[in-house]
Amino acid sequence: MNDRNGTLFANFGRRRRLTQQIGAERQRLYRIAWSWCHDSHQADDLVQETLARALAKIDSLREESRLQVWLTQILANLHRDQYRRIRPDTGLDTDVLAARDDPEQAVDRSMLIARTRRAIELLKDDQRQVLTLVDVAEFSYADTANILNVPVGTVMSRLSRARRRVREILEQQGIGHAEVVPLRRPQ
Amino acid sequence: MKSGDEFELHAFIDGELSTDQQAEMLEAMRADPELARQACELGQLKAQLRLAYADPPAPRQRVTAKVKASWPAIAASLAMLAFGLVGGWLLHASAPGLAADANRLVVLDPEGRGQAPAAAEDRDTRIVFHLTNADQAVAGQLLDDVEGMLQAYAADGRPLRVEVVSHSDGLDLLREGLTRHKERIHRLAGQYENLTFVACKNTMDRLRVERGIEVRLIPDAEVIDSGVNHVVKRQKEGWSYIRG
Repeated sequence: MNDRNGTLFANFGRRRRLTQQIGAERQRLYRIAWSWCHDSHQADDLVQETLARALAKIDSLREESRLQVWLTQILANLHRDQYRRIRPDTGLDTDVLAARDDPEQAVDRSMLIARTRRAIELLKDDQRQVLTLVDVAEFSYADTANILNVPVGTVMSRLSRARRRVREILEQQGIGHAEVVPLRRPQ
Repeated sequence: MKSGDEFELHAFIDGELSTDQQAEMLEAMRADPELARQACELGQLKAQLRLAYADPPAPRQRVTAKVKASWPAIAASLAMLAFGLVGGWLLHASAPGLAADANRLVVLDPEGRGQAPAAAEDRDTRIVFHLTNADQAVAGQLLDDVEGMLQAYAADGRPLRVEVVSHSDGLDLLREGLTRHKERIHRLAGQYENLTFVACKNTMDRLRVERGIEVRLIPDAEVIDSGVNHVVKRQKEGWSYIRG
């Protein structure tokens, strides 16, 4: 077998392997997409499109170990290009509203989830993305910077602002931690 | 706290510090309970976020089941497709003037031969309109035919079922932003229960993959897997077939 054939077969193997790996990333991508737009239809569209594009340009992925970052990068670009502008106004979450009168329920797990999501929804887009990439998808600062195409310093400052803001919102909703101290101590 | 220190605390929580830096941070926290408490809170927030998104709502099922009369019989679709192609060819060959307006209504017999419905059955008439043309004027004519048919049958109190299958370039009829007939479709769909607008999912998938177009349908559109299969199936079931 000459070299060319060897390369050809190696590429076929690589393709098949990567195609499978890409398919396996669907759920993870969906979670990230959903945390950004809070809309299952839109999140599903984003993931479909991401997978389609990834498969179409699979050969441009150089380091296979970077697959997750690469895919999330595609997702972030699509989100930026297509969906950010048409993101519907964050409507009132009826679940949260319905339960607001019942303080006992506020400690429920589902309530905690609903209110946390609501707080994330109120963040600015760039803060929400950094926060969910680091906390939900558990990417490193460097990977997050790579995905969003911003410097690491920007990731850190957005992250810190996002967390401060989420705490403020949660405190306003009355489900902050029992003893809340300001992150920034008086100078 | 200076912002540099604050960043370091976040980095500690996020596992971004080197072992040495972590040791320093732990040391500092032992000396400063306040710092320890902040670290603890940040850690809790992180866990809370992970919990909030551990189980997002599943995407909605988009292939609706409204048009589903014995639909699982897709297994025979290959055979039916062949049947449909031959049928279409025979139709074309044996019925000159088919495209002429008045005579577009054709009933296919089981052998796939088309015949004008001079004596179309009065009870339970079923018609599938097949639109593959992007021309909105053609689509308008098709809607004229559909509406005329529905009106006539409703006036006589005769039962009728109509499906409009949009497929290939004809999908534009049901695409948000592209169709010029959205209001009319909405009015018709609301007025006639026996009328269904159907979009071909294969076409939508192809647009997505090949051209990066994310198709958005108008609310009155139903989705079926394959427009071609559907039309062939309807013909086999004895539906009249009209091509727009």
